[in-house]
Amino acid sequence: MKKLLLATLVGLFLLPALLGALELKISGEMWNRWTLEQGKVFADTSLTAYKKEITKNFFSLERGYVGMEAKFSQSMKGRFTVDIFSSDILKDGAGLKLKYAYLDFSNLIPIPDLTTTVGLQKVYFGSIYDWSYNLIGKAPTDEYKYANSADYGISLNGYLPGGWGEYQLGMYNGEGYKNYGSNLKDNIDPAFLANLRIVPTAGLTIGGSVMTNGSERKLKLADATENSSYNTQLLADGILRAAFGPLDIWAEYLYKDISYAPNFSAKDYSATCFSVFPTLKLKSLIGADIDLQGRYDRSDETRMPDSKKKNLLNAWTGGLNFNFMADDSGSPALQAQLNYVRKDYDEDASGTDYANGKKDTDTVMLQLKWRFASTIY
Amino acid sequence: MNKKYIIVALILLLAISFAVAKSRKITCSGSTTVLPIAQATAEAYMDKHPDVNISIRGGGSGVGIAALQNGSADIANSSRVMKAKEISQAKSKGINPTPYAVALDGIAIVVHKSNSVANLSIAQIRDIYNGKIKNWSEVGGPKLPIVVISRDVASGTFEVFNEKALGGSKVVSSAQLLASNNAVASTVGSTPGGIGYIGLGYLTEEIKTVKVNSITPNTKTVQDGSYPLARKLYMYTNGKAKGDLGSYIAFIQSDAGQKIVVEQGFIALK
Repeated sequence: MKKLLLATLVGLFLLPALLGALELKISGEMWNRWTLEQGKVFADTSLTAYKKEITKNFFSLERGYVGMEAKFSQSMKGRFTVDIFSSDILKDGAGLKLKYAYLDFSNLIPIPDLTTTVGLQKVYFGSIYDWSYNLIGKAPTDEYKYANSADYGISLNGYLPGGWGEYQLGMYNGEGYKNYGSNLKDNIDPAFLANLRIVPTAGLTIGGSVMTNGSERKLKLADATENSSYNTQLLADGILRAAFGPLDIWAEYLYKDISYAPNFSAKDYSATCFSVFPTLKLKSLIGADIDLQGRYDRSDETRMPDSKKKNLLNAWTGGLNFNFMADDSGSPALQAQLNYVRKDYDEDASGTDYANGKKDTDTVMLQLKWRFASTIY
Repeated sequence: MNKKYIIVALILLLAISFAVAKSRKITCSGSTTVLPIAQATAEAYMDKHPDVNISIRGGGSGVGIAALQNGSADIANSSRVMKAKEISQAKSKGINPTPYAVALDGIAIVVHKSNSVANLSIAQIRDIYNGKIKNWSEVGGPKLPIVVISRDVASGTFEVFNEKALGGSKVVSSAQLLASNNAVASTVGSTPGGIGYIGLGYLTEEIKTVKVNSITPNTKTVQDGSYPLARKLYMYTNGKAKGDLGSYIAFIQSDAGQKIVVEQGFIALK
């Protein structure tokens, strides 16, 4: 692993230089986190009564991104980013994944402000692609497993004239960038994506995404019988953002429809998630670069036919960000984040998996993020 | 007195004091081309309005636009128009970028003062910057290798030069990429084979300006648009500039402000 890490980092520096990049930038960020979680666990062996106790208390390097961006010409740019994360599960205590590795071509299709992106790239679904982790938690799309944050594929990314918004059309593997081995969906259907964000007036953004995906290879097996595991997924997302003065509120609605082969349609189900995340920027009010954060999620998977897995979750987050060491553009190099997250599963609406692990939790997270970005040449 | 009234009064007092304090301070960030205009006009404006404090930073047009988007600058100085992507990003954050033209400029093509070349076509400039023309003798000059000097790609001057002269083609990898107009001027001035491009306000006696398509960059050719590398210089604000901000920009656009623009080596709007 260490050799691989070293080879990757050396490659990060050398490859773009060898290719004669016009400009080469390096950037990265590290998230050092302390997590303290109190969970609801069985009080005794009768498995009927519950009690609360500390279930997690640890420090971690939750994420480390290191990336290079090479500008080969005014119309061609490449970027790759490795995702480094600490983990006690792995032998070496750290994991390494390629998060992005793509090329942007801005002149492949002669439409103004349109870029064609090829490679391992962002998935432009819902809030996931511009989720800047102002809250420590993941974007709802990622958190509740609607779509992956990055995937292999090709996409067209454009901006509407006059700053009226943006659009994306994409075709991806549909597997994401983290899956491996038995976790893979064994998917031969590509995932298709369409995303649109409109900014009708300064401060107001309305958007929506649609994505189709498939899982478990083929509808029919070799003997022409239907594959009980094969399913198609229709994912939809609606976004509303209002940013006026110090207040910035996002609301997101997610919908997922899973359909199995006709003979197994009893397994079909749909799920929804509603999230709202407001931010109050105090900088203009008190001078200090402090943001107050909030979030509410309602993830409803009660229509799952598998009674073990169905669940209804309400989650609340309260947080505070302190940004400091800002650069000339006002972007902070350091950010201290404090979040409190309460997850509350509805006991009546949730299945037996709730009893096996998805129990209510109260979590406090304190995180120090540091970022750097520099132009090498 | 009831505690509630005291708290409300304190909050009101704080809000008023912040509002008052904020209205007397203006922060500008961005283009190094617009920098001398912003500095000179700010000094003149603050002389007349000593209660207003205008702070100015460079960094390049891209940096200024990002600062406006992030709310850390009241004015983004830019030597190019904002891109659709930048406007969209700003608007989604509640920032309504509003352009104010403050001056006209020509991007001057400059060479060492000992260089005999007096005129270059746009095609020749493109071929020099692409690396196809490598020696001054290929364009009627001395037998001397050409040293290509360019701006970093975050620069608005580069973006305009790229659009108007290079047509989006790649700058030769051996080019020196410098971070400011001053750096380009001084490097060309000390490099006999050097060629660079800078705003008119940065011309010095150490360097020589060459004609482009046989047109000299001057007030007439920039104002009537006949000079191929003419452009407008902008200040962007969040919405219509009001209060001290509006007053400052109105001053730059006034006859007195435009006189300062000309003194700085740029071209008046009219």
